[in-house]
Formats: sequence, structure tokens, C-alpha cells
Amino acid sequence: MNVVRIAVQILLLYGLYLVGDFIQRTLHLFIPGSVIGMVLLFILLVFGVVKVRWLEAGLQFMVRHLALFFIPATIGIMNYFDLFKGKGMLLIAIVLFSTVLVMGSSGLTSQWLVNRREKHASKRNNAVQREEKA
Amino acid sequence: MTEGVIALGMFTATVIAYLIAVSIHRRFGKPFTVPVLIATIIMVAGLLIFHIPYDTYMEGGKWIDRLLGPAVVALAYPLYQHRNLLKELMVPILVGTSVGAAIGLASGILLAKWAGFDTVIIHSLAPKSVTTPVAMVLADSQGGIKPLAAVFVMIAGIGGAIFSTWINKIFHVHHYIGWGVGAGTASHAIGTARAMEVSGKAGSASTVAMSYSTVFVSIIFPLFIWLFA
Repeated sequence: MNVVRIAVQILLLYGLYLVGDFIQRTLHLFIPGSVIGMVLLFILLVFGVVKVRWLEAGLQFMVRHLALFFIPATIGIMNYFDLFKGKGMLLIAIVLFSTVLVMGSSGLTSQWLVNRREKHASKRNNAVQREEKA
Repeated sequence: MTEGVIALGMFTATVIAYLIAVSIHRRFGKPFTVPVLIATIIMVAGLLIFHIPYDTYMEGGKWIDRLLGPAVVALAYPLYQHRNLLKELMVPILVGTSVGAAIGLASGILLAKWAGFDTVIIHSLAPKSVTTPVAMVLADSQGGIKPLAAVFVMIAGIGGAIFSTWINKIFHVHHYIGWGVGAGTASHAIGTARAMEVSGKAGSASTVAMSYSTVFVSIIFPLFIWLFA
């Protein structure tokens, strides 16, 4: 029973993906249909047009097994082994190094902004407490 | 008939490889045991041993590949669950993602150019941080090679997932917002799957960062190619 429910809900998610894909092709957008579908579902959930319980089993299944859906694409790497021989090895190093820079800089920037805000908030709280004591 | 059997076999093999990879990851829990990497190694090794070309594999693999679209749609769920948190922290997430995305494009292009690679390869490598379908479209729009772009996306994704613990230690990123934003901006959905393991909050931040960087990179990509390549 649960399997049927998950399958039907995944089909509904597939429908949303097709809607997103349709919007992308009609408006010639750069953003892929799947991302448009995601934004669409988020809006529908926030405004209560779609209730979470209608899709919850399927959503949980997809999010939990996210990695499975990438495997067919990643296996495609087997067609490009030759490119990474000799000097091509450098390309892997470049991508990895650049990835380290992206992860470090974006993570650090957002963390700095969050900490700064939390510090401001606690300062404000302390000031209020001091006023209350005075 | 035989084609159908092969397709079903490839489909089943992928699911089994995934389940094995998940149980290995549960047992050892190391960053380099991420299920995508282990499952990919198992499958590539198997295909090479039995001399099965990728196109034949995809007869069955495409049924899983097709669910990639709805899987991305499903990422609205963690986003919705943590909507209040994300509303509150929208500015740090968006600013952090923008900074990282710009640094990623510039560093990728400049390093590849400095190492003396062809423009075709540079244009295929540059969009590595965003999700596969977008990276392929972007690379193609500037004269890059689509399947090659997908390979660089995978290296950035798997590499980021494997080294995330180490990278966050080096850069002193402890906050779950920093963790999630870094993973989503640098390593798209593979990074998001890794962040989801760390915590639901980190996963949500990663989902927002990934979605936003997809849009942001799409817009600034032509400009960065023009500036640096």
C-alpha cells in the first residue's frame, strides 16, 4: 500500500517537473525546468494550495535517496578517462582546487554574516537587560 | 526481448550498487565513502569488466536518470520545512552564495587558462559548480562540450562531498549555515545530499544555496567568460 502511495506521489512530482520544463521552454529561460518545478512546489506549499500530507511519503523517499538519481549520470565519466591522462590530470586538480575555494569562501562569508548578526542581537539583548536593571 | 532484459538488469544493478554503497557508508561513515562515489566505482568497474558500453547501460539507467527532475522538485520539501529559518537568514545565505559562485567561475577559468588548456575545455570546465543540466546548457551556449561539462560537474560534486569535512575545518566553518551554503554553492546536489547527512538545517541551507547559485551563475556566466577567458 505504502509503495503504491509513494509511486503515485512521485508521478505527481514528475508532473510538476514537466510543468517547470514547459515554463522554461515557453519563456526560453536559462533556469532548468526542475529548478522552476521546485520553486513552484515551494510556493504551492507555502500558500497552502498543496497540503504537505498529500505528497509527504513521496517527498521523503526522493530526498532520502537523492544520491541514487545521480548515479546514471556520474557513470558517464567512463567515456572520458582518456582525457584525464597526462596533462589532463591537471584539470582534475584545477576543478578540485577551485571547488575548495568556492566552498571555503561561500561558507565563511555566510557564517561571518550570521555570527555578526547574532552578536548584534545579543548586544541588543544585553543593553535591554542593563536598562531593565538600571 | 533481450534488450528489455539488459535494461532491467542495468536498472536493478544500479539500485543494488546504490544499496551496497549506502550500507558501506552507514558502516564506515567516512567522507570518502559517500554513496555516489562508491556506487559509481562499483558500476564503472562492472561495466568495464563485462565490456558493456555506457549507451547500453543507459537503456536501463535512463529510468533512474529520468527521476532526477522530480528529485530536484522534491528539494522543495526541506526548503518548506525550514522556511522560517531560511527567511530569517536569507541575506547571509544569498551573499555567501554570490561570493562563492563568482570566485568559482573566476578561479576555474583563470587556472585552466594559465595551465594552457583550449578555450573549448575552459568553457566546459567553468560552470562546474552548478547542477548538471544547467552546466551543460551553459557550456554549450559558449561553445563548450556538453558531456565534458557533466564530467567536471561530477568532479566538483564528488570532490566537494568527499573533502567537505576537511575544507570546513581548514576555513574554520562551524555554523550549519556556512556548512550548507558551502556545500550547495560548490557541489550542487551531491553537496546537498552530503549536507543533508550533517543536519536537516544544513541541508536546507544547501538547497537554497544550490538553487540560488544556479540562477546567479546562469546570469553572470557570459560576463565572466567575456572578462576572463
